Amino acid sequence: MKQSALNQTQRFSPIKQAQILRNGGESSKIGAKKDLAPILSLTSLIDAFSIIVIYLLVGTQSGGMETDIPSRINLPTAEASSIIEEKTSIVRIEKGRYFVDEQQVSANQLGRKLYELKKASGKEDLPLLVQGDREMNYADLDPILKAGAEAGIQKLKFAVVPNK
Amino acid sequence: MKKELNFEINILPVLDILSVMICFLLLTAVWIQLGSMDVKQAIGDNSASGAKNPPALWATINTDNSVQISLRDIGQKMTLEYRVAASRQGIDWEALNMRLQGLKAQLPELKTAIIRPEAQANYGDVIKMMDQLKQTQISDIGLSPLGT
Repeated sequence: MKQSALNQTQRFSPIKQAQILRNGGESSKIGAKKDLAPILSLTSLIDAFSIIVIYLLVGTQSGGMETDIPSRINLPTAEASSIIEEKTSIVRIEKGRYFVDEQQVSANQLGRKLYELKKASGKEDLPLLVQGDREMNYADLDPILKAGAEAGIQKLKFAVVPNK
Repeated sequence: MKKELNFEINILPVLDILSVMICFLLLTAVWIQLGSMDVKQAIGDNSASGAKNPPALWATINTDNSVQISLRDIGQKMTLEYRVAASRQGIDWEALNMRLQGLKAQLPELKTAIIRPEAQANYGDVIKMMDQLKQTQISDIGLSPLGT
C-alpha cells in the first residue's frame, strides 16, 4: 500500500526519534522501546492556529477605524493622539485637490457636499476626519474649516500617526 | 490496477506558512494604526448671549516660525502676551513647551486654546502645536480659519 507523505515524515522525524524512552536508561530488552510521544492531531493544531490568527487580528486592531492612505501622503505624527473609534467621513487633501470619501470635490463645492453628508447621516454632531500631508500649507486646509462651519460640522479629527 | 486518486496534503508546510503569516500580521498591524487629533470648532457667535468666556490661550503661528501667545478672559482686564522666537530649525518647540508648562502651572483652569496659523504656516507644525497643547492638559482646542 502506498504510504502517505505524512506517515513517512512521522516515521523519520528526528523529534519523534528523540522522544523514544528506553527503560532504565538502557534497554533491558532489545526492542522494548516505549513510545511516550503523545499522538497530536494536526487538525486540532490547525484549529488552534486559526483561533490565534483571528484573536491577533481582532486584538491588534484596537477597535480603531481602518482607512486607506495613499503612499504619497505623509501624515504628521503626534504623541497625544486618540484612537478613531467610529467610522467617519474622510476629507483628503492632495496638492490643493479635495476628496470627500474618495470623490473629488472642488473647493467651492465643499460646503454643499459636507452639508449633504451631514444631512444624509442624520447626526447632529457628525465628525469629519481630515487627512493631509504634513508639508502642505495651512492655506490648503482653510477651505475645509470654512466649509465645515458652513455645513454646521463642529467635530474635526486630524489623522496622525501615533508616535509612542 | 486502479489508481488511487485520494492524496494527503503535507500539513507541516501549511503550518509553516501560517506561522509566517502570524509574524507578518503582527509586524504590519503596527503600521496601519491611525490616531487623530480632535478639534471642536465653534460655530456662530455667542458674544451676544452674555455668557462668560472661559480663559483661553490664543497661539498665532507666524510665517517666520515665531509663535505669539496671548491669554484672554483670564479674569483680569489686561491680556497677557508672550512671543516665542523661532530657532534655526523652525519653531522652537522646547521653548514653547516650557512656556506652555509655565502658563498651565500659573493658570490650572486654562483648558481652551485657539490656534491661529498664517496662510503659509506648515500643516505639520499646526498638528504639532495641537499635540503640545494636549500634552499640557489643554483639551479644548480650536482652529481659526484665515481672515478672522
